[in-house]
Amino acid sequence: MPSNNEPTLVFDRVTVAYGSVLALQDVHGEVRAGEAVALVGPNGAGKSTLIKAILGLVPVARGAITVLGGSPAASRSKVAYVPQADTLDEDFPISAAGVVLMGRYRSVGWLRRPGRTDKAIAADALDQVGLADRAKDRFGTLSGGQRQRVLLARAIAQQPKLLLLDEPFNGVDAVSQDALLAAVAKLKADGAAVVVSTHDLALAHVSCEEVCLLNKHQFGFGPPDATLTPELLQAAYGGQALELHGDHVIVSRP
Amino acid sequence: MSAYLIDPFSLPFMARALLELCILGVLGGVVSAFVLLRKLAFAADTLTHTVFPGVVIGFVAAGEGGIFVGALIAGVLTAVALTVLTAARRVSSDAALAVLLTAMFSVGVVVVSRQTEYTSDLTTFLFGHVLTVSGSQLVQTAVLAAIVVLTLVVIGKELVLRAFDGVGARAAGYPVAALDLVLNVLVALVVVAAVQAVGTVLVIALLIVPAATGRLLVDRLGLVVGIGCVVGVLGGYAGLVISFGASVYGGVRLSSGATVVLALVAAYVLALAYAGVRRVVVAR
Amino acid sequence: MSSYLVRAVLEVAMVGGLAGVVGVHVVLRRLSFFTMAMTHATFPGVVLAALIGANLYLGGAVVGLLVAFAVSALSRRQDTTAATGVVLSAGFALGVALLSAQAGFTKDLSAYLVGSVLTVQVSDLVTTGAIALVVLVVLFALHKELVFGAFDSGGMRAAGYRVGALDLLVLVLVEAVVVTAVPAVGTILSVALIVAPAAAARLWTDRIGVTTVIAVVIGVGSGLGGLLISSEANVAAGGAITLLAALAFVVSLLLSPRYGALARLLPSARVSL
Repeated sequence: MPSNNEPTLVFDRVTVAYGSVLALQDVHGEVRAGEAVALVGPNGAGKSTLIKAILGLVPVARGAITVLGGSPAASRSKVAYVPQADTLDEDFPISAAGVVLMGRYRSVGWLRRPGRTDKAIAADALDQVGLADRAKDRFGTLSGGQRQRVLLARAIAQQPKLLLLDEPFNGVDAVSQDALLAAVAKLKADGAAVVVSTHDLALAHVSCEEVCLLNKHQFGFGPPDATLTPELLQAAYGGQALELHGDHVIVSRP
Repeated sequence: MSAYLIDPFSLPFMARALLELCILGVLGGVVSAFVLLRKLAFAADTLTHTVFPGVVIGFVAAGEGGIFVGALIAGVLTAVALTVLTAARRVSSDAALAVLLTAMFSVGVVVVSRQTEYTSDLTTFLFGHVLTVSGSQLVQTAVLAAIVVLTLVVIGKELVLRAFDGVGARAAGYPVAALDLVLNVLVALVVVAAVQAVGTVLVIALLIVPAATGRLLVDRLGLVVGIGCVVGVLGGYAGLVISFGASVYGGVRLSSGATVVLALVAAYVLALAYAGVRRVVVAR
Repeated sequence: MSSYLVRAVLEVAMVGGLAGVVGVHVVLRRLSFFTMAMTHATFPGVVLAALIGANLYLGGAVVGLLVAFAVSALSRRQDTTAATGVVLSAGFALGVALLSAQAGFTKDLSAYLVGSVLTVQVSDLVTTGAIALVVLVVLFALHKELVFGAFDSGGMRAAGYRVGALDLLVLVLVEAVVVTAVPAVGTILSVALIVAPAAAARLWTDRIGVTTVIAVVIGVGSGLGGLLISSEANVAAGGAITLLAALAFVVSLLLSPRYGALARLLPSARVSL
């Protein structure tokens, strides 16, 4: 358990490379318990790569990532990851409740079945994303937004100290987006740190304490007001940034 | 040297076998490119097995002459069934294919097991008898090969478009289901053309290995086809020479069909090694 | 009942049940083609073992596993189906070439290819029983991890599991079942006995436990029924067994309440179950 002084996640001049190709350079910053950081940048900027590096699935070439005071691999049981729902098999014979229960497997351990407590935790997690009434429905029969919520519930059931979300709002309806945001806010209130990659600058602005602006290397790391500025966005996106109504920013490629 | 490499083909049966394998090698080089593009390796394997009951039932019903017709009917029926099953998408298609394949093969096994010559019929089907291929079989093979290649020349670019982007092809107004059916039928025709002479094992290899080899070496479709044809023909030649040499000079009987397959696979392995070396060199 | 028939009944019942259970994982992971490649590659292993006088099961299993490794290594370079196809034809051709070097090979060959259940020995029964026991214990013990990996291997990797090792374990189990099925239905036909019962069962339910039970019933039923048909009508047992399994699949395709063709033709009959 990290003390209040110790951040949950620290990037110390992190560089990630695939073979001889540099995917991401010089990411530097930290995220504390109860805070969320938005990874913002164009497609191919390295957002997913950074998430994989936090999970320890991609080696860090230079610098270091510290998760809960240890290495990424050592802290994995306290880290939950929410993949994009559309990568999963729609025909798979498993209920929504069954998917959420998978979040308990790591703490249940090998060779043992999930017990009553695990099932209660899973049911509670499904309730937090507003899908308690769909528990018995097959995962593949749910809408895209609902599937994303079930996967978030699975992460909640893991009771993580650090939550990683990879583009959770892509193609998600408004009701599901609100439910996702509410559930993430509750996790933060309970003391978890959150990393979320997103294209939605407005969402990053209102729901995250920190923004990490990326495109192959870091263009800014800090509060939204300091990072989501026209100048930095223009630099990161290489396109035009317009300021409308004071703080809404629209970015387009030239 | 020529005693080993050329002289064997002065024997009429060896010359006929070489001619048959050359036709099939070119055919395989062309068709396997489309099998590769559409990821139809499993479907091709299915077709080779499902033709078996056609062969058996044709033989039981009408003797030697019934084999070709039986194989043709079974092949085309399977091509239709494959197209319908994969288009319906109700079951995951690989499971449906596996069941279809073995079910049809089982029909053949059950029917043939009623015959007295059970085991030798089965092995003939699996391994063919390229060394006893007859003049009329050569003509059959050549005619079917001409039909297949001509069809591919005419609608090749549509098939490539469909393979690359099925949704786009449908959006552009192409009859995608019909294109799929045509390709499946073409693969079935290759199987029918080849199976009696060279057996099902060799047909699978001819439908997969040439283009897979070409694809390791080059990125352009035309070149993949070209290399595929060369590999197909050379594999046939090398397999014949080796199996002939082994039995005449070495005293080891080697199934010629199986030796051809192993020659094709050897070409694939060489291409794999070359691609590996090239990657290392380029990376430096 | 004569003793060879008793042995045959026991053998097909065990193999049918085992194939049903492992088939559920094959269907969930869409490994049907891969399984087929392994069955074809098991064939040269069995042939090689017969030639050098080693244990047939061991020979088949070792070569089958080598092939599993070869396919996963090749898949990194090229599309999986193409890689599987190459390995499949290579393995099969190798088996044929080895066997053709022996005189009078056709009889043995067909026994390996399509089975010869009426000649099963007590030692075969013991081997089948032992392999079945090991496979079932492993599948039961690791059930939740295996399902997790089949559903979401990316999420599982992120949760810190060694997914590659688990995937390999599944392949080893499937290969063990393929080898076990050789005396009953042969190498080629074993795919049907593994895939068809599970694929049929999957059409009747969305729950994995129920799928497994139905698959076992279909597997054992096809085995016993096929044996009966074989002795009554004097046809090859392996073919009759796999035909029955395939028939169960086709009937399920037509009649199952959720996915069946009949349910789609008669929408009014589609009651909520």
